[in-house]
Amino acid sequence: MRKLNILAVMLFVASLAAVFMLNTPTTRRIQQRVLAVFAPFIHSSAAVADAVEAVSTPGMDPVELAERNEQMRMEIQRLRIIAQKYNQLVDENAQLRKVLDFKGSSPFKMTAARVIKRSASTWWNTLLIDKGSLDGIGTDSPVITEQGLVGKTGKLAPHMAEVILLTDEMCRVSAKVEGTLEQGILSGERAGLDTVPNLHLRFLSRDAPINPGANVYSSGEGGVFPANLLLGRVVKFQNRDISGEALVKPAVDFSALDHVFVIEMQVIEP
Amino acid sequence: MLFNVAVLIVLLLSFGLQEFLPAIPIAYHARLFLPVVVFLTGAAATSFSMMLVLAFVTGFLWDARHLPAPSETPSEMLALMEGAGAHSMGAGSGEMEFGLSILLFGILGALMQGVRPLFKRGRLELPVMMIGFSVFGWLLCQFLILTFIRGNFNFPQGMWSKMITDSLLAMLVAPLLFLLFHALARWLRYEIRYDGLRYHFNGR
Repeated sequence: MRKLNILAVMLFVASLAAVFMLNTPTTRRIQQRVLAVFAPFIHSSAAVADAVEAVSTPGMDPVELAERNEQMRMEIQRLRIIAQKYNQLVDENAQLRKVLDFKGSSPFKMTAARVIKRSASTWWNTLLIDKGSLDGIGTDSPVITEQGLVGKTGKLAPHMAEVILLTDEMCRVSAKVEGTLEQGILSGERAGLDTVPNLHLRFLSRDAPINPGANVYSSGEGGVFPANLLLGRVVKFQNRDISGEALVKPAVDFSALDHVFVIEMQVIEP
Repeated sequence: MLFNVAVLIVLLLSFGLQEFLPAIPIAYHARLFLPVVVFLTGAAATSFSMMLVLAFVTGFLWDARHLPAPSETPSEMLALMEGAGAHSMGAGSGEMEFGLSILLFGILGALMQGVRPLFKRGRLELPVMMIGFSVFGWLLCQFLILTFIRGNFNFPQGMWSKMITDSLLAMLVAPLLFLLFHALARWLRYEIRYDGLRYHFNGR
């Protein structure tokens, strides 16, 4: 081997060791900067994909559009009324909690975000949304739709964030089964390659009384996900060697995600 | 020197182009991993030391862009596991180390160096096959590392289909990249030499 090659190998190994020794905050910072550099490419590719889709899908009838617009307006009005009532109830609840000196769960702020695209990674189920650190989004924040939990935020760019989907094995949620005292950990399948990948609720008691169709909610333990977010429905329960495991169908249709909400947990001052 | 810079620029551009490449839903979201193919073809075209530089850049950028961010709250995850009575189940954190791709690309690049004589002669059959095997090997290694870290054996059926499709897509594009690097080498008057692992005895 030439001397230059030996030197190159030594430098390569030293650089590799330096990368392996990076701590989590540094790794995150590097990933965030790289995501910010690639953000223009990601936005452009999403715009190209949207343009191609717009060309390939037939246009909608104007009458039908007007009808849908009217329906949407009515829906907005209805939701505004509900939001007003909700805010009144939240205020009332906060006052009552104050009177009782009750240290309960924190309310949360929601930020709406548009799904840009699915990421081009190998074995991870992630997608990108158009809100990032400058929009007030933090890492490891829960992401939901009206159907249920979608996942949690990962890497952040100024106006972009990566969401690790619930169908990914990396996104683990402490979960409880409706109508029982059973709690376990819900996670996706490795690689999550199926169109509708099932989730696995592990570490349940053996012979737990869990029936197919039972709703599975987040338990709120662990501090990342708030309690009572719908995760899915039990398809079947089976006993494993030392614990029980339920197969769960996700509540969210991950193939048709357009808009999501990022939850920011707010700390209540006592 | 100029050729090495050109290969590096092509590699960096491929990371941008990767964002525009769609996945194939019917093949378990298989897609062309362009930067990986550019690296592997570049590894056959450049010297050993330059190949290591390319391996570092490719692995670093790939992990920075595509590896999910490590969780900031490992202690909370531990609490979560213990809350569910899973503390004795040997469940790992399930996260791949940032930088592992650099190592994998270094090894695969060294293998690609072996086909330099064929690349120099313009014979692309074996180099293209090597690209396919390398992409397959890279994906399989990643999956096996994940399996090792996460502590349970799980090989879904779709995984093999996805890996084979990814490899075939890489083989489809590889000849174009080989021809591009051949043309670049000619244009920039770069001589493709093969030093291999020859042992130089200096008489002492």
